[in-house]
Amino acid sequence: MARREHLGEFEQIVLLAVLRLGEDAYGVPIRSEIEKRTGRSLTVGALYRTLDRLETKGYVTSWFSDPTPERGGRSKRYFSVRPLGLRTLRASRDALAAMWEGLEPQVTRGS
Amino acid sequence: MPQEELGDVIEEYTAGKRTRLWLLRQMLSAIPRSRSRFAIDQKGSRQMLSSLTQDLRYVLRTLRRSPGFAVAAIAPIALGIGINTGVFSILNNVMYRPLPAPEPDQLLSIYQDFRGVQKRSVHGARSMFSLPEYRAYRDGAQTLSGATAYTKSWTVTLGGQSPQEIEGVLVACNYFDVLRLRPAIGTGFTADCDVANAPPAVVLSHALWTRAFAADPAIVHKTITLNGLEVAVVGVAPEGFDGTELTRAAFFAPVSLQPAFYPERNFLDDPQVSWLTLLARRREDTAIDQVRTELAVLASRLDLQQPGRATTLLVAPATSLSLPVARRDLASVAVIVVSAFGLILLIACANVANVLLARGEARSREIAVRLAIGARRARLVQLMLTESVVIALIGGVAGSLLAWWSFQALVPSMLSSVPRISQPRLDAHPNLTVLWFGLAITMATALVCGVVPALRGSKQEPYGIMKQDGAQLKGHPGWWLRGALISIQVAVCMVLLISAGLLLRALHAAYALDPGFQYRNVAVVSVDLRGPRYSDSAVEMFRRQVIEQLGSLPGVTAVAQVSRVPLSPGRSQGTFRLPDMEHTYEFDVNTVSPEYFTVLGIPIVSGRTFTRAELDRGARAVIVTEATARRFWPGQDPVGRTIVAASSPEAVLEIVGIAGDAHVSHIANTESSYFYLPAGPSVQRRLALLVRSETGFEPLARSIRSTIEMLDEGLLAQVQPLGTNLDFWRRGSRSVATLAGSLSVLALAIACIGVYGVVSYVVMRRRREVGIRMMLGASTRAVQALILRETLRPVGLGVLVGVAAAGASSHALRSTLFGISPFDPIAFVAAAIFLLIVAAVATVLPTREALRADPVTALRHD
Repeated sequence: MARREHLGEFEQIVLLAVLRLGEDAYGVPIRSEIEKRTGRSLTVGALYRTLDRLETKGYVTSWFSDPTPERGGRSKRYFSVRPLGLRTLRASRDALAAMWEGLEPQVTRGS
Repeated sequence: MPQEELGDVIEEYTAGKRTRLWLLRQMLSAIPRSRSRFAIDQKGSRQMLSSLTQDLRYVLRTLRRSPGFAVAAIAPIALGIGINTGVFSILNNVMYRPLPAPEPDQLLSIYQDFRGVQKRSVHGARSMFSLPEYRAYRDGAQTLSGATAYTKSWTVTLGGQSPQEIEGVLVACNYFDVLRLRPAIGTGFTADCDVANAPPAVVLSHALWTRAFAADPAIVHKTITLNGLEVAVVGVAPEGFDGTELTRAAFFAPVSLQPAFYPERNFLDDPQVSWLTLLARRREDTAIDQVRTELAVLASRLDLQQPGRATTLLVAPATSLSLPVARRDLASVAVIVVSAFGLILLIACANVANVLLARGEARSREIAVRLAIGARRARLVQLMLTESVVIALIGGVAGSLLAWWSFQALVPSMLSSVPRISQPRLDAHPNLTVLWFGLAITMATALVCGVVPALRGSKQEPYGIMKQDGAQLKGHPGWWLRGALISIQVAVCMVLLISAGLLLRALHAAYALDPGFQYRNVAVVSVDLRGPRYSDSAVEMFRRQVIEQLGSLPGVTAVAQVSRVPLSPGRSQGTFRLPDMEHTYEFDVNTVSPEYFTVLGIPIVSGRTFTRAELDRGARAVIVTEATARRFWPGQDPVGRTIVAASSPEAVLEIVGIAGDAHVSHIANTESSYFYLPAGPSVQRRLALLVRSETGFEPLARSIRSTIEMLDEGLLAQVQPLGTNLDFWRRGSRSVATLAGSLSVLALAIACIGVYGVVSYVVMRRRREVGIRMMLGASTRAVQALILRETLRPVGLGVLVGVAAAGASSHALRSTLFGISPFDPIAFVAAAIFLLIVAAVATVLPTREALRADPVTALRHD
């Protein structure tokens, strides 16, 4: 890889959430997925800020659905992870795994 | 907030799982990312510029969206700025615009102020020069490249097929040379044109040449007749040049023609007559102070020749109105006019400020939110100032266009009511100075209108504002300020209304006034007999003939000769003393024939009128007025007593009669020192006759003109009804009253918009309170009274302040108020009551609207 990009923790969480949801990945489910699995609450604004950043870097792509009445006539914006996003995600996981290697017992004991 | 985010928020919130607090947090989280106007600013000028264009667009959008507000705010500002710019352009033109000549900044006008001179006759103004004085300065000054002189304008009769009166000036031969103007055609004056026996010459103005001689290029070296004198035309002045004074000059003649135009006196060699204005051109390499220094030395040299005399010279850049006295007079009038128009602009500003304040309060929550999320206060002030600047700019541009367009037409018609400036040389075109002035007052307006609302509006306590529910209004920090603005508006309005009231009362008085003499069915005939065609004996002959022939016209009952036509501008005065006293008095003097009293219906209350014999031998008889008798001989009969004319040698005059008082000098006053002297046999070359007739004016005027034409067809006879002289006085008060009236109506309208706006705003904000009161059983009337009481408090305060201010300033109007006091109670009380009624209506209308609303709806109102 020419460009070595690192993903922040929250970026990884968001990317993973999008991957999990597949076809259904838009704002509301993404946030509930994250809240359900991590127990953190986050604001709509914070989520979209991250998604916009990921899109600018070329990790995700997004498109708009038709407007729906339950959203006050607003469209949904769907997201999916692009191949570059997958590669970077993998690289981040590998880097972390490499750092974790052999430390498992120590960290578990210490906690 | 982008729509997909908003969509998410709405979807979750409407699903019912989320609290309001959650909603608020989502909203706030979105703001820093959106391109909100009040986003936390980054630094940098580009940011500033783009925020400015944003503000501009925002303001224009707001104005477009509320056209009512836009018109209410802009129209008064446009009027205020427009009128002020217009008035300034006139003043600028008259007082500061340089003369229409090449290198005008080098041209200086010179006047003098002297003490210690006993005998000085004045033909124009005392600060003018005599011919010998002019020559001394012209020949002595090294700092000047040239000095010339000219007189005030002279009226002469231009002979020809149909004689006409024209006005022109007498000038020194180098007049055009010093101005650096070349005649359009012809050679102009020769260098020795003003020596005593030079052949009479004249330069015509381009306008007269076109009008009276059809622009005939062969006019040069032809002769024309001025006051019967044959004068050679030596040139035509360049187009557009008609002198260096306010009155347009139709001709320029050498000063040596003075004795021909005014045979009674010869000014030429007299060192003690003020009749010439000095116009000099300083050398390019000298400053005005060097000129002053040098001329002061010359002046002190002249003083040495006359022991006791001390001269101060007044050297200033030359303008159309250079005469110091005239400048002072105009400046004092200008102060009144400019402050009146300035007051209009001020209340227009107060109005806009008030509306902006109200809007600021209505927006206080929005502003508080913006402050809470990090907008800086400076940024808010910028937005609000942009608003007032835009309003002022639009108003300024509209107003200046209005001024430019209307003053072209308005000024001449306004000036036509000013005596002695029949055809003012004035162009009201704006120049750069006027433009700067307009811009300056526009910006001042923007600041005055905008700063207070902007500072007040941006000084919100975010927390407190968000909690407030708008129910309470008194005690709100903005309230006293708005009340104060209303008070100011009302006070200013009051001053203008009272002035208008006073002037209207004076106008009424001017029409209702009995001048004490009968002016109806009397014609004034004036004939100009100056010039070489009439010798003294010919004048006397003509006088007898014309009086006799006019007296025999059908319908004519009496013809009187008079030197001062009643209520004509100007006065003739003489110095007299009582026989056994040293102290002398100035008396107004009129020389009349005995028929004068018959024609005007002025009774001789004691003694007799002049006899024919007294007239013929010029007897030393005098008739005094009743008021004069009361003043100098209280409780006695002055008939048979004598007074002494303090002339040299002194002459003793016998009082032969007392005439009834009449307002012959001033429309509202009787002079308490007024004499009649017998007319004739001393020669009166500007002959004035009063003709009483039973026929209508027009046929009478026709037969008078043909009678005089038969006597001498080269004479120009002017025939006017005597009532015209009364109109002259009335016209002055009429135009001032009209002006003041329209100003005060304007002020009243603006102030009403202000009161109405504030009251409807207050009522709107208090709808909930009103609703509660009415639910609890308060009557409509009681609520209305409550609101009326509260809003009329600042109005009442304004009225009081206004009455006080008007009382303090109304003496400035004294000269135009005939017959009423500047503290006329009717004008004061009527204006106050009128204003209070109008303010009450402006309060009641919006209140009624609010009270009609359903209290329950009102209660829900936030």
